[in-house]
Amino acid sequence: MNFPRIFHNLNYAVSVLLFLMGLYTVAIKPNLIKKLMGLNIMETAVFLFIVSTGMVKGGHAPIVEKGVKASEMVNPIPQALILTGIVVAVSTTAVALALCIKIHEKFGTLDASKITGREEI
Amino acid sequence: MSVSGFPILLTAIPLLFAALCPIWGMWKREACFPWSLAGVSATAIITWALVPKISATGAIGYEVGGWAPPWGIHIRIDFMGLLMAVIISSAGLLILFYSWRYIIHEIEETKIPYYYTLFLLLFAAMLGFSITGDLFNLFVFMEIFSITSYALVAISGERKALRAAFKYLLMGAVSSITVLFSIALLYSVIGSLNMLDISKRLGQTPYGVVVNTAFALFIGAFAVKAAVFPVHMWLPDAHSIAPSPISAILSALVIKMGVLGIFRVVFTIYGPAFSSNSILWKNLCGVLSWAAAFSVVIGSAMAIIQRELKVMIAYSSVAHVGYILLGICMLSPRAMTGGLFNIIAHAMGKACFFLVAGSLIYKHNMKRIRELRGIGRTMPVTAGAFAIASLSIVGLPPTAGFMAKWYLLWGCFQKGRYVFAAMVLIGSLLSAIYCFRVVYYMFFTGPRLRTQKIDEVPPTMYLPAALLSLGTLVLGIYSSLVISAITRFVGGLPVK
Amino acid sequence: MKWKKLIVICSLAVLGGLLLFTVGEMPLFGSKDSPDKTHVIPRYLEKGEEEAGAKNIITGVILNYRGYDTEGEVSVIFSALCAVIALLGRERRRLSRSGVDAAGRPTSVIVNTVVKFLVPIILFFAVYVMLHGEDSPGGGFQGGAIVGASIIIFTLAFGLPRSTDRIPVGFRIPLESIAVLAFLSMGFLGMLFGVNFLTFILPGLSSRMAHTVRFFMLSFIEVGIGVAGGIIFTSIVFSMIREDEYELPPNLSQP
Repeated sequence: MNFPRIFHNLNYAVSVLLFLMGLYTVAIKPNLIKKLMGLNIMETAVFLFIVSTGMVKGGHAPIVEKGVKASEMVNPIPQALILTGIVVAVSTTAVALALCIKIHEKFGTLDASKITGREEI
Repeated sequence: MSVSGFPILLTAIPLLFAALCPIWGMWKREACFPWSLAGVSATAIITWALVPKISATGAIGYEVGGWAPPWGIHIRIDFMGLLMAVIISSAGLLILFYSWRYIIHEIEETKIPYYYTLFLLLFAAMLGFSITGDLFNLFVFMEIFSITSYALVAISGERKALRAAFKYLLMGAVSSITVLFSIALLYSVIGSLNMLDISKRLGQTPYGVVVNTAFALFIGAFAVKAAVFPVHMWLPDAHSIAPSPISAILSALVIKMGVLGIFRVVFTIYGPAFSSNSILWKNLCGVLSWAAAFSVVIGSAMAIIQRELKVMIAYSSVAHVGYILLGICMLSPRAMTGGLFNIIAHAMGKACFFLVAGSLIYKHNMKRIRELRGIGRTMPVTAGAFAIASLSIVGLPPTAGFMAKWYLLWGCFQKGRYVFAAMVLIGSLLSAIYCFRVVYYMFFTGPRLRTQKIDEVPPTMYLPAALLSLGTLVLGIYSSLVISAITRFVGGLPVK
Repeated sequence: MKWKKLIVICSLAVLGGLLLFTVGEMPLFGSKDSPDKTHVIPRYLEKGEEEAGAKNIITGVILNYRGYDTEGEVSVIFSALCAVIALLGRERRRLSRSGVDAAGRPTSVIVNTVVKFLVPIILFFAVYVMLHGEDSPGGGFQGGAIVGASIIIFTLAFGLPRSTDRIPVGFRIPLESIAVLAFLSMGFLGMLFGVNFLTFILPGLSSRMAHTVRFFMLSFIEVGIGVAGGIIFTSIVFSMIREDEYELPPNLSQP
């Protein structure tokens, strides 16, 4: 482990921790809404990671203006990618919430352990 | 006529039809089926029109927006992409035809336009996933087919369906996020999203650790999508509870997308640079082939103890993904040929199985295997299709499944992996038990009454199943053509 | 359950160790010469304005260089909408009451007045964001999100029936597909002119004319994304609203 470098890359390290936190929530928490929150934390962690990779120290937003040199701009690709990523995350969350509403209608609960218990059709 | 513009039409046409489908459904619900049939048929014709060109030249590319590869998105149809596209569009067409009568019976009337819209989106996304040459574009199309399949699993609104869909959604979403994470890792040290460009630059990158981590994450994430043994839990629930045409699509095509993802990562992206000198590449392929071998045995064993027909077929899919991945990851040309050929054979056989299971549900609401007594006499075409398809799933001559397993075993023996050969043989033996048990119930039990009349499902439902099962026979008899093409393609891959 | 927790924590620790080790090997945060900033990017930054037709390079990348991804992206939200409708159906208006919130309490006059005053302004702002994606932060998706938010605020304050009366289903269905259709129509337009799909510089026009046409094509797509995005978010929220399932307390049964 290269600890000084990990500290320098603190943004990446934090997003890794967030990613793990989200994964833990998805795997352990029985409440379906909490699982979804975990999913969204994971997604946000990845977005943080991607946007951090594009950062340039002292860089400007990639908008062409007078007095800003092209070499001083941050990387625009990660920002374009996470725009897509955010839309994808919103869409997955919307479908998952619709499923939750339906599950609550049919089962009367959002507890994963109770949902798996009822086998009858 | 020039085919240069065709690659983009493979996704553009189904998307166009999908976008207009709800508007069409607002005017008249019955119009949605002919509309989506038109879209899928047009796409199928375009796919087949690409076959001669690609088999002559090896691969064709298309620069979307006119931007040259590392800058813009490059669509690249190589042999693998073409293989998948042909399977998707042909099987998709037959399954769509089948679902016309079936789906009226299964879901509420107001949902029908959205069923067809989701179907077309799923179709477009799978085609886009197969033919794209850009890593991020791969992710986008993966999300479209994932979201549509979660919804299609749950579309009936039954309790079991909702539960299965939520499980599928959680595992699928985690694997999608992991794919995005690995794309980000790879991009941050390579600086490109084009697959060929990445594979060129991988050899010279100083950030070996990051690249290797991304590789491991990719494999793990796509393994979830492909439902390989330790992470296959979502598959039996989701595939058995979905409406039958959707089960057919999911089992025949959607899990193959996970396999294709693994193939793209292992061979298209990492293969050229890593195959000769990376220990991780070889070891991960070894781990994957063990996981695949275990899925073969465990999937088949679980299939035997099931009482419901569709659950049994779903477990059989776990086993067959195992055969395909074992072939791909054993790094032997023969086994690879068998694995790739099994993609076609399994798509046909498994789609036929699910369509037959759907016909039984449609006609008699039969879900359990024991209830199938005497079906062979009242529904001869449906049951006959099942019998022929089960020959292919078990792997008996002269069907396509036999050729696939023959090459797979040949590869195992050539490489001296006798354990894998034994596991494949055990899996085949078990599959013979679970398939022929159903055939036995269908044809050799039940009352033998003279008065029994033939009582078939509508022709739009038995014809697709019969065509698929005949397809396995024809493909088995004329397999040399396809196998020689696959062998030529495999010759260009880094497998020895 | 305890075993499961232990296994999950152990595997997460392994994964975390691996990922942190990877982080320690990555290019330095904020460095200028890591591969991702030297390989493909310089062309975008130097020629982006002229080639892609947008001062905001991100917009240029989204709409032009990687327009096909964005086409996939609008298909993703379109498929999310179809998924939600296929699961829940369109909005139900059986017992919905106007003027009460989801818990059955009448909404306050202050909220209603403020919302009535704010919604047009928010919509105006949304149009501004949509149209100025080329030279400032913003764009179709952002504008669409604002459109959706304004309609949702209106619904929260005035109840579902008032909103669905203003934007009925028959009006929303065609608008929901407009983003996908905008992309496809512009793509096919290019193909008719003999260039590749989603090429915005059409051949056979003078340079100045071609640039004007490109501006209009890009704006058409931006507005298409914005309108469809807003309407799709609205439709999703409408079909998720379940106010009729909550029992009203007796003293509040009529507002």
